[in-house]
Amino acid sequence: MKSSRSYPYWFILPSGLIYLVLFLVPTVTAFWFSLTQWDLFETRFIGLENYSQFFQEPFLITGAVNTVVFGAVTSIAKSILGLLLAVLLTSGLLGQSFLRTLIFFPVLVSTVGIGIAFTEIMHPARGMINVGLSYLGIHGPAWLIDPHLALFSVALVDVWKGVGLATLIYIAGLATISSDYYEAARIDGATKLQMFFRITVPLVRPATVTVVTLSLISGLRSFDLIWAMTKGGPGFSSDVLASVIYKQYQAGFYGLSTAGNIILFVLVALIVVPLTYWFNRREVDL
Amino acid sequence: MASVKLKNIHKEFNGVKILKGIDLDVNDGEFCVFVGPSGCGKSTLLRIISGLDDASSGEIEIADKDVTHADPIDRGIAMVFQSYALYPHLTVRDNIGFGLSLAKRPKNEINERVNTAAKMLQLEALLDRKPKDLSGGQRQRVAIGRAIVRNPEVFLFDEPLSNLDAALRSKMRLELTELHAELNATMIYVTHDQIEAMTMADKIVVLNAGHVEQVGTPMELYHHPKTPFVAGFIGSPKMNLFEGQTAQEHGADIYGIRPEHLTLSTQTGKWQGVIKHIEHLGADVIVHIQVQALGTLVARADGDFAVTTGSEIYATPQQGREHFLSK
Amino acid sequence: MKRQQVIIGIVALVLGVLLFATPFMFIGITAVKSAAEASHLGLSLPSKWLFWENFMAVIKARNYMLLLAYFNSTVITVGAISLLAVSAAMIGYVIQRRPSKWNGFIYALILAGLMIPPAVVPTIWLLKELHLFKTLHGMILIQVAYGLSFSVLLFRSFIASIPRDLDEAAIIDGAKPWQVFFKVILPLLKPITITVVLVQSVTIFNDFTNPLYYLPGKDNVTVQLTLYNFQSQFSSQMNLLFMNILLVTIPPLIMFIFFNKQIVKGMTAGAVKG
Repeated sequence: MKSSRSYPYWFILPSGLIYLVLFLVPTVTAFWFSLTQWDLFETRFIGLENYSQFFQEPFLITGAVNTVVFGAVTSIAKSILGLLLAVLLTSGLLGQSFLRTLIFFPVLVSTVGIGIAFTEIMHPARGMINVGLSYLGIHGPAWLIDPHLALFSVALVDVWKGVGLATLIYIAGLATISSDYYEAARIDGATKLQMFFRITVPLVRPATVTVVTLSLISGLRSFDLIWAMTKGGPGFSSDVLASVIYKQYQAGFYGLSTAGNIILFVLVALIVVPLTYWFNRREVDL
Repeated sequence: MASVKLKNIHKEFNGVKILKGIDLDVNDGEFCVFVGPSGCGKSTLLRIISGLDDASSGEIEIADKDVTHADPIDRGIAMVFQSYALYPHLTVRDNIGFGLSLAKRPKNEINERVNTAAKMLQLEALLDRKPKDLSGGQRQRVAIGRAIVRNPEVFLFDEPLSNLDAALRSKMRLELTELHAELNATMIYVTHDQIEAMTMADKIVVLNAGHVEQVGTPMELYHHPKTPFVAGFIGSPKMNLFEGQTAQEHGADIYGIRPEHLTLSTQTGKWQGVIKHIEHLGADVIVHIQVQALGTLVARADGDFAVTTGSEIYATPQQGREHFLSK
Repeated sequence: MKRQQVIIGIVALVLGVLLFATPFMFIGITAVKSAAEASHLGLSLPSKWLFWENFMAVIKARNYMLLLAYFNSTVITVGAISLLAVSAAMIGYVIQRRPSKWNGFIYALILAGLMIPPAVVPTIWLLKELHLFKTLHGMILIQVAYGLSFSVLLFRSFIASIPRDLDEAAIIDGAKPWQVFFKVILPLLKPITITVVLVQSVTIFNDFTNPLYYLPGKDNVTVQLTLYNFQSQFSSQMNLLFMNILLVTIPPLIMFIFFNKQIVKGMTAGAVKG
């Protein structure tokens, strides 16, 4: 092959170099900096002290646990709701294209803007949600104020904002399933529910992989929504690793902040890589 | 003099030997067809001549110049692709003139040459259209126009007719033959279709599993196939080939007789058999005969020849038309 | 349409509007109220529509900070997108067309870019060393680095659908490698380029985290950061804060109205192949 001459590697250079310098180099050097006490000018090697500090401080551990909870809750909710909405919005309903547009729009809107707006919407006394619930005779919870609920309230908004994308990915996935399968199943006497679980769910798998992987990665790394809504509070109850990293950075603990970064990196890798591997292996079995 | 000489061309890719030492001379002005089944290496060989691929070893000369390591543009060749490979975003005019504009020829020269080529191929009315607005036959012509306009010394065709329907294909065969006569250029044409090879070629190169089986004019290959592969590949329906006693009697491994060289009779003949299957083609009839000693024998007879399935029949090979081949 | 589909459709529309449209109505209505009315957080119509007053108040706030922010965000978005589009296409082209033993490694690097959270403090350190910290061009380069993986993957899968014969025809026609790309391939990438430009510009325009880290300082403020800054300043003037949200929402809204299809196509790519 003459591809060496026809497709020169220097094509990769312009932004490949930017990627190397501004993304790969910091990622690799982070491992070193996480082992130091660091003020951006001077480093002092302290071994694993940052990490041991990380795992001894309860609020830092809360951050790590919350990160996993937030990622899991949002990605599971997005994939289940997304699939159900996609099935609903491909069934030929009145106004379905308007509905698709409506639920997709929040995806494009500023996360911080959404966060600020929902902070007010979730106001325990005057917020729209609890006012609405009171009409139904329900006493709404204290959403962002309740330490046990704050993280889940933010997760709810994250799902609200992101479910449109999951739905559209599922709609694209559903479009690839040939209607022959459904007709064959109907001739075999399958009910709608059986068709959903035996045909739709297994065949829409590539879309599920995409939705779960994408929302897991973004969920685990999530920062701006949490920062706009609770800043990790009340207390540290809704802190996640990304907000811990920012707080430690602001406080000038650069080594500790970087250790948090490495922990987040390892966490994402530990969850996403085996998952993708498992997804792909199952695919071969099909 | 635009002859093409290949010397001991080898090509290996990922440990697989695709070409195993090809030696070949294509003379100036010749219409040479590479024919063979898919995977025989014919397209690879063409790509090596074009310079799109490198040979693993061996030498290529075009017009007596060593071009083994030259870029395609420096080889004096033009190529017509199976998919036509027209640039979708350019008009017919710009497609044909693309190479000339890359070579920074003056505008009016490009225009003039594009117009001449278009005239030759009756494309004048289509010059401002985009490829997507053309029919298959028209796209084919544009692809040829793109080759002609550069006045190459050697034209390379990679299965150019395989995407056309049967009627258009036979029309284009004729047009390509005429074009060859008009341009008097060397043409190398790759196909898997032995009919294209027979009808168009001055010289046929039969390739099989990475080596040359036989080189010759169409009638040489038809009358004097040197290997069982060529015997079976050229001619339709296929030549009857048998191993065993009949071949051994003549000191050969394989005995061959073409369907059209068998005389059928209901009374007497060399081989007696039962008719298993009949295909009426109108002018001809193809008869499949079960012969005890040989197996199935296919014979071509006159369309009026009255036979029925299951009846007995005798087949006799015509004198001097038998082939005795070694493995 | 069957009766059942109409009925379910109506129910879905009511629920959909309730759940997905009311928050935006809330933003819109609050933005035109007086400060006192806005603090009630209700959905009731304002007694006096103060669109223009609130609009001017937000624009003028902190010495026209929002205008500066729009300027900065536009510079960053346009700069990063122009760099990204062409260079990501070039990378996608080479790795799609050129099979080699490096491909697995290159692919892993690309996936790393999608997955790994950027190491922020080391990046800040590096930007400082390169004198790019707190500069718009530094921010542009950061956005290019962070958006590269996604863009390359989109280009790569689109280029896979362009027959290689076209490259080869161009090579036979005497095109140099860069001419094959810029004269033959790039013009054919228009649809995917539009998609990449739209998706990335929404992402970059809406980015909050990266400017927060890499672009601190009043002069470098971006649109998303104004929200953050005004959140504390306008805590008693909810109307102005929401007017700001409204203004920040407008550019993506315009994009959405005109290019809905292409944006959706880009964001859902991958659903089919997994």
